[in-house]
Amino acid sequence: MTDAGNEDCIQCGRSFSESCNEKLIEQVMIKDLVTIHEDDTLDKVLEIFSKHHFHTYPVVNDNYELVGIIDQDVMLRILLVQRTPRLEHTHLAAVVSQGETAKNIMVPHPVSMSSDESLCEAADMMLKHKMDRVCVVDDGKLVGIMCKPDILNEIYELRGSE
Amino acid sequence: MEVLFYILLILLLAKVFGELFERVGFPSILGELLSGVVLGTFLIHQESEIITFLAEMGAIFLLFTAGYKEVHLRDLRESSKKASIASISQILVAFSAGFLLGMYFQFSSLESIFMGVAFSPTSIGVVVRTLIDMDYLSSKPGSMMLSSSILDDIIGIFLLSIVVTMATYDQFPSAVQILFILSKIVAFVAIMLIFRVKFFPTLFAYVHKMHVKESIFAFVIMVALFSAYLAEVFGLHAVIGAFIGGVMISDISHAKIEHVQSKVTGVAYGLFVPIFFAFIGLSVNIATLQTVGLFSVAVVLLALAGKLIGGFAGGRLIGFDNYDSLIFGVGVMPRAGVELVLISIGKELGIIGDEIFSAIVLMVAVSIFISPVLLKMAIQSKERTKSINT
Repeated sequence: MTDAGNEDCIQCGRSFSESCNEKLIEQVMIKDLVTIHEDDTLDKVLEIFSKHHFHTYPVVNDNYELVGIIDQDVMLRILLVQRTPRLEHTHLAAVVSQGETAKNIMVPHPVSMSSDESLCEAADMMLKHKMDRVCVVDDGKLVGIMCKPDILNEIYELRGSE
Repeated sequence: MEVLFYILLILLLAKVFGELFERVGFPSILGELLSGVVLGTFLIHQESEIITFLAEMGAIFLLFTAGYKEVHLRDLRESSKKASIASISQILVAFSAGFLLGMYFQFSSLESIFMGVAFSPTSIGVVVRTLIDMDYLSSKPGSMMLSSSILDDIIGIFLLSIVVTMATYDQFPSAVQILFILSKIVAFVAIMLIFRVKFFPTLFAYVHKMHVKESIFAFVIMVALFSAYLAEVFGLHAVIGAFIGGVMISDISHAKIEHVQSKVTGVAYGLFVPIFFAFIGLSVNIATLQTVGLFSVAVVLLALAGKLIGGFAGGRLIGFDNYDSLIFGVGVMPRAGVELVLISIGKELGIIGDEIFSAIVLMVAVSIFISPVLLKMAIQSKERTKSINT
């Protein structure tokens, strides 16, 4: 069976993967971000989760450097700490459940990519590491976020346009 | 290949017994230990080299995952500020209790020091459920327990490094030799820190772009093996290296990708660690426990009392009232994984014999059983007094 994308690209003289590789993350990423500050209280974090409906929020410091992420799983684990099975009552989980600020509950050291990497590299990374989203960081500062649906839409459009 | 059947049996019984204990409200580690005791009594009478090796890998992976998943350098800094006085107090008293007990029963200085070291760490995980159920996790003693237990393990591992190296000397080492031991530990940590800063981040940045399957997972395992090996080269024990190696990559984002972490945990807790706990159970000599009954009872009582008294004194020193100090003292009583690693090393190196080994395993099991119950009673007594006073 012929790959539809590649078949289209034979006509335009460029392969699909070339187009995908030329497309940079900065052209696709979401730049208008809702972020959490590392010193935000748990109440503030909960307020952000109830006001917006994203799965994951980047956590930044005063210099807008990415220091961690907080996702729905983190919040659920904290809110339902009473229901957590005994085996998951590790020391770290207990410390996190007692956190009063974003800094204490976030998942530190998230994997990030830089905005000049290609769309294909982002897609490869997400598939390889079973990630649904990745923060985009330039010189330590948060500049955007890439989610799987954004990549999917972009690839769909790339294939359609060629 | 009888050993394949043995490994199958060990894993099967460890998981089944572990599950049974979880279902009745006790940590699975007790079931895993018991599976070893049962197998040792009824079926496996001689130690196979392969099972011993797998158990050693279990000890390495137990401490590696502890460093890799559970320790954050940031938490460590904060804990050391908050909890150093209370921690040092309870460790000092627990260590002294072990050491003096050893001396009283006329064990050698090295054996006595080893007993002190084995009395020192705390496994807070055992009482976390009780703290949550009693809504005490965020209380003053609750948060102090959390901070203190990180330091406990680090200090325990540091003491182990010293005692393991001391075991290579025929007699109690001189001041110069102790300085030499300390300098080896410092040199090892310094080299690992250089790797942490200069090498590991770059390594993982490249590794995550590799095309071969499971490259990051493989390199995380390689860090565990490398640090364990390097520690041995420095005359320390492999498990100490593995723990420090784990801590060194605990804040490298590519090494901490969630699905990589879950694979490392899978290898550790799905295979090696249950074999390690069962192996400890296999190595327990029930007959020895009976012959040294008084000694075993003394080990259990003093190990628990050491933590209780040390914790109470530490609590008072940092300004807790009597009840909070008591709660803190009871909360730091449980021992589990790290203590079992300590004594398995002691036995492997010939520092301790069957009687100390078996008595400490008994102490670990008793501490896991009674710590949550005693903690509940301590908290209830505080609540009762509070309600009477109001």
